[in-house]
Amino acid sequence: MKLEEKTKPVRTPRRPIWSGSITIGLVNVPVKLYAMIYDRGITFHFLHKTDSQPLKYEKVCTKDGKIIPWAEVVKGYEVAKNEYVVFDKEELEAAKPESDKRIRIDKFVDYFSVDPTYFYSSYALLPDKSNDAYSLLLAALQKMGKAGAGRIALRTKEYPALVHAYKDALVLTTLRYAYDVVDPHNFEELKPLKTPEKTELDLAVKIVTDLSGEFDINEYEDNYRRKVEELIEKKMKGEKIVVEKPAEEEVKGLMVALRETIKQLEKK
Amino acid sequence: LFDDDETMSKRLTKVEFTNLDKILFPKLKITKAQIIEYYIKVAPKMLAFLANRPLVLTRFPNGIDMEGFYEKDAPEGTPSWVKTVTLYSETAKRNVNYILCNDLDTLIWLANLAAIEIHMPLSTIDAREKPDFVFFDIDPEPPASFENATSIALSLKVKLDQFGLKSYVKTSGKKGLHVLIPIVREYTFGETRAFVHAIGRQLSKEHDIAVSEFSETKTPGKVFVDYLQNSHGRTMVCPYSLRVTPTAAVSTPLNWSEVEKGIKPAEFNISTVTSLPKDPWKDIFENRQKLEVK
Repeated sequence: MKLEEKTKPVRTPRRPIWSGSITIGLVNVPVKLYAMIYDRGITFHFLHKTDSQPLKYEKVCTKDGKIIPWAEVVKGYEVAKNEYVVFDKEELEAAKPESDKRIRIDKFVDYFSVDPTYFYSSYALLPDKSNDAYSLLLAALQKMGKAGAGRIALRTKEYPALVHAYKDALVLTTLRYAYDVVDPHNFEELKPLKTPEKTELDLAVKIVTDLSGEFDINEYEDNYRRKVEELIEKKMKGEKIVVEKPAEEEVKGLMVALRETIKQLEKK
Repeated sequence: LFDDDETMSKRLTKVEFTNLDKILFPKLKITKAQIIEYYIKVAPKMLAFLANRPLVLTRFPNGIDMEGFYEKDAPEGTPSWVKTVTLYSETAKRNVNYILCNDLDTLIWLANLAAIEIHMPLSTIDAREKPDFVFFDIDPEPPASFENATSIALSLKVKLDQFGLKSYVKTSGKKGLHVLIPIVREYTFGETRAFVHAIGRQLSKEHDIAVSEFSETKTPGKVFVDYLQNSHGRTMVCPYSLRVTPTAAVSTPLNWSEVEKGIKPAEFNISTVTSLPKDPWKDIFENRQKLEVK
């Protein structure tokens, strides 16, 4: 059934979303770009409660409540409250960054020197036509632990990006711009941070050392998703669902106090 | 065999907790869960004072920085297990369906309603006109300080000792001190009020700073010995009730010896009161006295 499909690992995409080449100075490596990241939550559809029929969205005019067909929809940028500058599709199309089919590499950096905070999304890069240049670049990056840093234009945006090795393939990871990430220094709470005492720090270091290990992403699973999947399976079998409310942390704390008080009151 | 926490909670209390993580004291980020926990912890000391008294609440469902309200009537949605009593209110000039808090569940339910302050009348429903406490509200008007109130309260204590009357002291949780005498239910409010007023007058003669008359209540720099609360329909903040102050102070029962040493009322608050070792008012209900000057 449909559900089993979802619990399996993500399917491998068949069609590239982009093709072009990695350019390093005068060298070109022809590549195809494939989607690699899927944010798989559980998708629900809105239905009408009384007859379970799917509901759809309509664009409704806020002035007269009329449903507006797509052909009459344009985009507006709000410049002041209720004041818009209007664009049609062609005008925005013309402004799109020129997708010149190149991933331009400016320099090579240590892959681990880029903070993951900036990582946006990743795409598989596969060789296009010839394998030779591709495997050479991959081998060099693997040997040196380096990544090519550069730029790529995808759809309506230009991204900073890294080309790096991942499991014997080249992968393109698009990055966020520095100005799109909050600088933690701006949080008031972090300004008066005190320097810990040496003994405190030693203890903390010991705890961290004791709990140190290898990171394995396979140890992690979305428990919410798993539970909902179990519920869906039960529903498909026609079982009735009993709603269990999980006890919140706060409730647990109150239970401790309650038990103690009840004990005291019983003594009286 | 093993209950989950939810069933456990149902077995321990009838109350269904709501919005536990809502912050009610913004300055100290005190949540409703902490308020409920506080009232659960003081319940063994507090419940005896609440029993059979129609309560008046100050509720701050959106925290003490937002608007709160006094509540006498049991609100809509009061569970059927909460005891209420319908009485005519002189001040409201109508029948009011008062809440009675005779058990732990009701106290927890009140806390869950964000009833920060709980006020109690000085008599119980079975003898509404016969108070069981005489109440001196020692209320300093700035620049008179808590220390000024303390000196008047200590002087009052000496006086009551001389009369052979055992008195009990608590912080109001705000500016002043409350002194109580537990009494047998033989006197009217008129009599207890006259008693407190008479002693207030004596104190005002002996201390420049003390005043005893209603007209002097708000005199700057004076300590008013308030006798007026000894009246039908008036209330006193219940021992161990939280107060609506930024630091979540508590109206805290104390030993006279502590007051003599000097205390800071703000130090008695939601986080300190639950760990106070002893109940200084333990014997208060076994010491109901006659108002006779021996």
